[in-house]
Amino acid sequence: MSDITDAPATADATEVRAWLRECVATYVRLPAEDIDENLPLSEYGLDSVYVLSLCADIEDRYGIEVEPTLLWDHPAIGPISEALAPLLAAR
Amino acid sequence: MSADVPEWPTGLAAALADAMAAGAAAGGAFSTARSAALDAAEAFPGEECDLLDASGLARAYVPERLGGVAGGLPELLSALREVARRDVTVAVAHGKTFLGSVSTWVAGTEDQQRALARLVTDENAVVAWGLTERGMGSDLLAGNLTATPEPDGTWRITGEKWPINNATRGRLICVLARTDPAGGPRGFSLFLIDKSALPEGAWEPLPKEPTHGIRGADISGLRLRDAPVPADALVGGVGDGLGIVLRALQLTRTLCAALSLGAGEHALRLVADFAVERALHGTRLALLPLARRVLGRAAASLALADAAALLGGRSAHGLPGEMSAVSATVKAGVPWIVQQAIDDLAELLGARGFLTEQHADGMFQKLERDHRIVAVFDGSTAVNRSLLISQFPLLARLIRKGSYDATGLAAVTGGAPLPELDPAALRLVSRTGCSIVQAVPDTAERITALAAAGELPPRAAELAALLAERTGALADAMAELPPTGRNAPAAAFAVARQFEACFAGAAALHLLAVPCAADRAVVLTAALERCLELLVPGHQAPSDAFEPLVTPLVQPVEEPVR
Ligand SMILES: Cc1cc2nc3c(=O)[nH]c(=O)nc-3n(C[C@H](O)[C@H](O)[C@H](O)COP(=O)(O)OP(=O)(O)OC[C@H]3O[C@@H](n4cnc5c(N)ncnc54)[C@H](O)[C@@H]3O)c2cc1C
Repeated sequence: MSDITDAPATADATEVRAWLRECVATYVRLPAEDIDENLPLSEYGLDSVYVLSLCADIEDRYGIEVEPTLLWDHPAIGPISEALAPLLAAR
Repeated sequence: MSADVPEWPTGLAAALADAMAAGAAAGGAFSTARSAALDAAEAFPGEECDLLDASGLARAYVPERLGGVAGGLPELLSALREVARRDVTVAVAHGKTFLGSVSTWVAGTEDQQRALARLVTDENAVVAWGLTERGMGSDLLAGNLTATPEPDGTWRITGEKWPINNATRGRLICVLARTDPAGGPRGFSLFLIDKSALPEGAWEPLPKEPTHGIRGADISGLRLRDAPVPADALVGGVGDGLGIVLRALQLTRTLCAALSLGAGEHALRLVADFAVERALHGTRLALLPLARRVLGRAAASLALADAAALLGGRSAHGLPGEMSAVSATVKAGVPWIVQQAIDDLAELLGARGFLTEQHADGMFQKLERDHRIVAVFDGSTAVNRSLLISQFPLLARLIRKGSYDATGLAAVTGGAPLPELDPAALRLVSRTGCSIVQAVPDTAERITALAAAGELPPRAAELAALLAERTGALADAMAELPPTGRNAPAAAFAVARQFEACFAGAAALHLLAVPCAADRAVVLTAALERCLELLVPGHQAPSDAFEPLVTPLVQPVEEPVR
């Protein structure tokens, strides 16, 4: 479904991190600067099942396929960004 | 019957219908008098389950390649619905074995799958599914039943599962157990436990719980005390439990539609028969316009729910990656649509809907109680709506873009044989949204062309255009909601209900767009009319919109002799 994404041409862990921060901020209705990159997302109400929709957002934005369990194995924004970096580089 | 039309498989359902009718005619299993007596005594429908065993229903719980029936999830839906048409309690009691087995089909090894398939098909083994615990509610990760590894690779399991369907009767039970004391999404694993292999004292059943509906069912529990379980009881990897359960639920939640459809059809038949018999004010109830409207609208509701269930069940085969959205929609939407029909029919039945020994041995009040459970178990309506809401941001974007998986949708809405169900293709979250809804504008255009060519009633084209417009409005309403985690606002649940109605209408629309017999087109058009009533407050259905569905229900009907 790459035709439906408006993925930025280049994306690295830093870009992903900033974007995820914005995403989570929107979900929990807090300013992005108040989001702690190392706090588990479940602390923000994005627990096991609901965090899966974030996976769909990531796939949609970057046009990559992400195994949803990646978000269970890497429960905070920082680790998620690191885990996504190789997938983005391989695009 | 054209080969291009997606239809329900009927082989197993027809065999079951014959066997149940024969049992009922002889005054035995499935007779209304016996159903009523078992219900009153809260007694388990054992003879009924034996009859279903003998008719081969268990083979519908097993994948075809392991010796099961050929038609996959639609065949199972069709068969279980046939049972629910007679008695929802029996359908719940027997069908549970699919729920207990499905995790093994999703994640078991070849050896595990073969062993379980043999037990289910050859021995009619009853398999329960133990997710819930006392005080745990819908939170799958709140369980305390714990499995601890032994040095030799085996496990010890301690804890309780409750309330569990067939926990006492079942020889096997698939349990979700905590394998990491800290819990979390990787802290749980699944075990298929064979109670008959456990030493005495390692397990005991918890007492049967009295229930409002499905009173004869074995709703009980299981207590395990340091139960030794072999290494090959583990289904999937350690820590894979949640992911497997969520994918298994995509199939079982879709299957729940069978219970609602069967209950709804049973209700409609009972009330239509009553309306034909009942003489009042010098006429028959079935000749009064209001009664006809209620019967017709209920039939249209069932046709709408039927379309949603048919394409939902077929999606497991043709659009497996979208089942996170489809299953939540079907599990919340179908019981909701059918419950309204049952409520309206209850009103028409009057006092007889309330009396437990009148009109067909009080079958109506029984099915009304039985049906309530469908919206509660396997994820309540609210739980499924909240899962759907969590997918709204992507769904709204894709509806607006009008993009969908055309190949998958063609497999689901076409008449070619379905691909075999591949559990590995079920995804925890859909990446292509819900193609059935996203394709509404394109299919509406096809309907317009078909109507212009005289192949469909003009009303079908008007309704298709209305549904396309409402689908766009729905995407706007979904996009306006703030994205949420577990704390979705109340307003989002009303939008989820609209999505469910829209999905069901979309299913009817896709079915209308394949060349079909004229009477099928009439039924599907009435289903679309009903969908718009649900979607648009104040929608004015033409006064004769549902009338074509009434005539076949209440024939022949004559004025009573004075
Ligand atoms: C007859 C029967 C048979 C059963 N059989 C089995 C079985 O075989 N195996 C098994 O594992 N379990 C079984 N269960 C348990 C069942 O599946 C439910 O998981 C359990 O009853 C949860 O109950 P609840 O809805 O009251 O939970 P709670 O989670 O306590 O819900 C309370 C209320 O909150 C709502 N709610 C919950 N979560 C949300 C949310 N995220 N957003 C909005 N509202 C929410 C619910 O809809 C409900 O209205 C059975 C239950 C019954 C009654």
